[in-house]
Amino acid sequence: MSTHGEEDLLNTNYLKAGTGVKSWLLTLDHKRIGVMYLVSIIMAFFLGGVFALLLRLELLAPGRTIMTAAQYNRAFTLHGAIMVFLFIIPSIPAALGNFIIPVMLGAKDVAFPKLNLLSFYIYVIGTIFALFSIISGAVDTGWTFYTPYSTSTNSSVVSMTMAAFILGFSSILTGLNFMVTVHKLRAPGLHWRRLPLFIWGMYATSIIQVLATPVLAITLFLLAMARVFGLGIFDASLGGDPVLFQHFFWFYSHPAVYIMIVPGMAVVSELIATFSRRAIFGYFAIAMSSLGLALVGFLVWAHHMFTAGISEFAAMLFSALTFLVAIPSGVKVFNWTATLYKGSIWLTTPMLYAIAFLIQFTIGGLTGLFLGTLATDIHLHDTYFVVAHFHYVMMGSTVMAFLGGLLYWWPKIAGKMYDETIAKVSFALVFIGFNATFLVQFIMGSRGMPRRYYDYLPEFRPYHAFSTVGSWILGLGFIVYAYVLIKSLRSGPKAPPNPWGSAGFEWASESPPVLANFREVPTITRGPYDYHLTTDEELFDGFPEDAPKKA
Amino acid sequence: MSNHTNDSHDQAHGDDHEEWDVHAHITDTKFLVAIFSALIVLTVITVAVSRVDLGSANTFVAMLVATVKAGLVATFFMHLRHEKPFNTVIFISAFVFLGIFIFFTLDDLSTRGRIDPANGVSVYARNGELAPGGFTPIVTPEHGAAGEHGAAAAGHDAPAAGHDAPAAPAHH
Amino acid sequence: MSTASSTEHAAASHGHEHPKWLAHHFDSPAQQFDTAKLGMWIFICTEILMFGGLFVAYAIFRGQEPQMFHQAHEHLNWRLGAVNTIVLLFSSLTAALAVRQSQVGDRKGTSRYLVLTLLCAFGFLCIKYIEYTAKLDHGLLPGRCFGHPWFGDHCIGGGAAVLPAAVHGLSTRAHMFFAIYFMMTGLHGVHVLVGIGVLSWVLMRNMRGDFSKGYFTAVEIGALYWHLVDLVWIYLFPLLYLVG
Repeated sequence: MSTHGEEDLLNTNYLKAGTGVKSWLLTLDHKRIGVMYLVSIIMAFFLGGVFALLLRLELLAPGRTIMTAAQYNRAFTLHGAIMVFLFIIPSIPAALGNFIIPVMLGAKDVAFPKLNLLSFYIYVIGTIFALFSIISGAVDTGWTFYTPYSTSTNSSVVSMTMAAFILGFSSILTGLNFMVTVHKLRAPGLHWRRLPLFIWGMYATSIIQVLATPVLAITLFLLAMARVFGLGIFDASLGGDPVLFQHFFWFYSHPAVYIMIVPGMAVVSELIATFSRRAIFGYFAIAMSSLGLALVGFLVWAHHMFTAGISEFAAMLFSALTFLVAIPSGVKVFNWTATLYKGSIWLTTPMLYAIAFLIQFTIGGLTGLFLGTLATDIHLHDTYFVVAHFHYVMMGSTVMAFLGGLLYWWPKIAGKMYDETIAKVSFALVFIGFNATFLVQFIMGSRGMPRRYYDYLPEFRPYHAFSTVGSWILGLGFIVYAYVLIKSLRSGPKAPPNPWGSAGFEWASESPPVLANFREVPTITRGPYDYHLTTDEELFDGFPEDAPKKA
Repeated sequence: MSNHTNDSHDQAHGDDHEEWDVHAHITDTKFLVAIFSALIVLTVITVAVSRVDLGSANTFVAMLVATVKAGLVATFFMHLRHEKPFNTVIFISAFVFLGIFIFFTLDDLSTRGRIDPANGVSVYARNGELAPGGFTPIVTPEHGAAGEHGAAAAGHDAPAAGHDAPAAPAHH
Repeated sequence: MSTASSTEHAAASHGHEHPKWLAHHFDSPAQQFDTAKLGMWIFICTEILMFGGLFVAYAIFRGQEPQMFHQAHEHLNWRLGAVNTIVLLFSSLTAALAVRQSQVGDRKGTSRYLVLTLLCAFGFLCIKYIEYTAKLDHGLLPGRCFGHPWFGDHCIGGGAAVLPAAVHGLSTRAHMFFAIYFMMTGLHGVHVLVGIGVLSWVLMRNMRGDFSKGYFTAVEIGALYWHLVDLVWIYLFPLLYLVG
């Protein structure tokens, strides 16, 4: 940014400040870095989605359909690894968060702009390692890299673990940057009790990223060492303990589940408040429940290991602690629902995604309790019930929030409006397709269909066929969604600064924002959901006539 | 840009920026050297104590001395004494979460097979030695009656017995 | 709270010049300095948890086989370990003194102490090299390579056919101690190398004249990183060399 003078910072729209590839690749502007992340993760999502469609196609009928068993093992590993490490972890934090957090805070940039760009390039390097691994024989261990298989298989585990190792540092540095930004760069008057809930959620996410991700780094480092030097720490034949690997892995990866879901919750809090036109119900409870999830997330990891041979004491302890997760999650769901009550609900596409989130997160969350119960977990462990459960949370919740959030902030990011009608069509396809794909997996899982199996008994065929057809509808929904974005970029009408009539602070900036985000640094005098303190001019400047106004 | 040595800025809230200039506490050179001397003395103490066999207390003393040393480095060399308190909170929280990691992992590894002796998987190394993480298989029926005790004992005995390779199989 | 009021306003209200090293998104040098330190402390927290994984492994395997750990640790040279401890503690002192000199605007003094710190870092690595080669020569290697001539017998690559061999009166299972020893000291060694890089960069900037009484952020941050390297070693030394 040193290349821009003071005048440019205050008057140039960030998209027009410099053209050419170099002005993007070397930018220190958090908005441009956010957009680069956005493009990268959408490509990763596409790649992971292609693998998902191939998997579902293979499972359309028993026996071989389109690929061999070995190819199938690689395909589900790549689907999982790409979706987790390349898409969902950076999705809301690194892409939307990078763009929105400083604007919401009334700051000019994140605390460490150079570090922010560095995180992006670390992400790119990690992606290159992952792609290299795919080309050089791919990985067939599942995204969890469990020992002893991961130390003995011939697939290219080392390059994929290196990829995840590197991507982890990108995640740590992003989290660190956001934490410091929230602490040190808030606008005058923006004290903690006025922080938008999106910021609270991202802050909680950053805490997890900073505390948990280094443990993934050391785990994958030890795994790579085990492959290279025959280190015995995870090798039972050398007196090590393969289950210890699972402890190490899930000490990161269970909190990582909250790295994935808490940002989704953060987005939904914003969507529901804006489109209900009223102060969010239980602001403080929602904010604290984000921090609560961050903390509880560190206390429950071994519920992934109930059948792995851990001690009964540990299993009971972790099962009991797992139920604690329901408290902050429930607090959020009830408060969102209470916000809807007597609100002036405006059913835009982002709001539809938020409502889909509410429904699907409730299903995904409650089925999580079944799995946290020791006895039922013995039956359901490693079945499609688990697959359905975590897809309801990861995809049915986080991806829905991401899709909703992207459309919600799209006018700010692109400076243009999207076509609401086609967007609603894409929402309908995504919603129907998602539930068709995964609801049926609860049933086949509870009837004993194991996950990650290439072949299955004929009685599961109707379920699998239904699920596969659902995946096609889902895929179509995403294509329509992409069309909505492309159409908006090509011919969308110019967006007003506050197209949704939101009281959120980020809407006080222009669409798209100037380089310094605000021409004049805002002084915050109210909370982000204080609709009763706002004026009509503040909310409805350039606002569509037919939309409902205040409650 | 004035630097000052009083502590008044310590009272400021962690997020307030009333001041323009960098206010850093300048520690006296002699004081830093004194801290260094204390660290050396503690190093000598920890080495000396480790030469005396105190049983399991050796580890305790070593960790205690190390923690005092780490505390001195963090407090004075890293200036936590004169930092915003929140930085200390962050530093301490790292150890809290590390404690959670160690506690829950050990809770599993040290209690396996207490209730159901078959729970711990019996693992043998390929060279014939008993793997310390594993448990002795239940071969005789009377072992089943003494399940809890037997398995717990095996879990603790096996490692000690494991030093002389031939003795381990004889254990059963 | 004037956190984000634009710089010219801040400059006007406080009557200060806007120094060129003050980034555009900060109001005041104090804010920029505190921000950098907060970031570094969070990073230190991350590093502690990364090393933490190895401490967990140490606690578990030592808990399972205390006697084996005790026997194996006697093959480490505690005298060299103690010398290295003193070298590292001294380098921590010089790093702290470099910060102090920087605070009072003594550029030469800062450079002198930074050079001393770097010399200690290299000294530490030299002693580590002596220790490592002694272990390698005696076949005291991690994992499957334990008891084999160093990197011989195809033990690299995790060759499942190779098993640790008894050596120097140690049970074959002592490979676990050396696995943990090499991983812990190896990761620490990597941090020493990174620290050398960071401090060299700070030294270069100091000699170029980037720092002044009001701006010495990089010296402070570099020193914090170096103290972290020292902190980790403070725990590694007794755990590996003294009580085993």
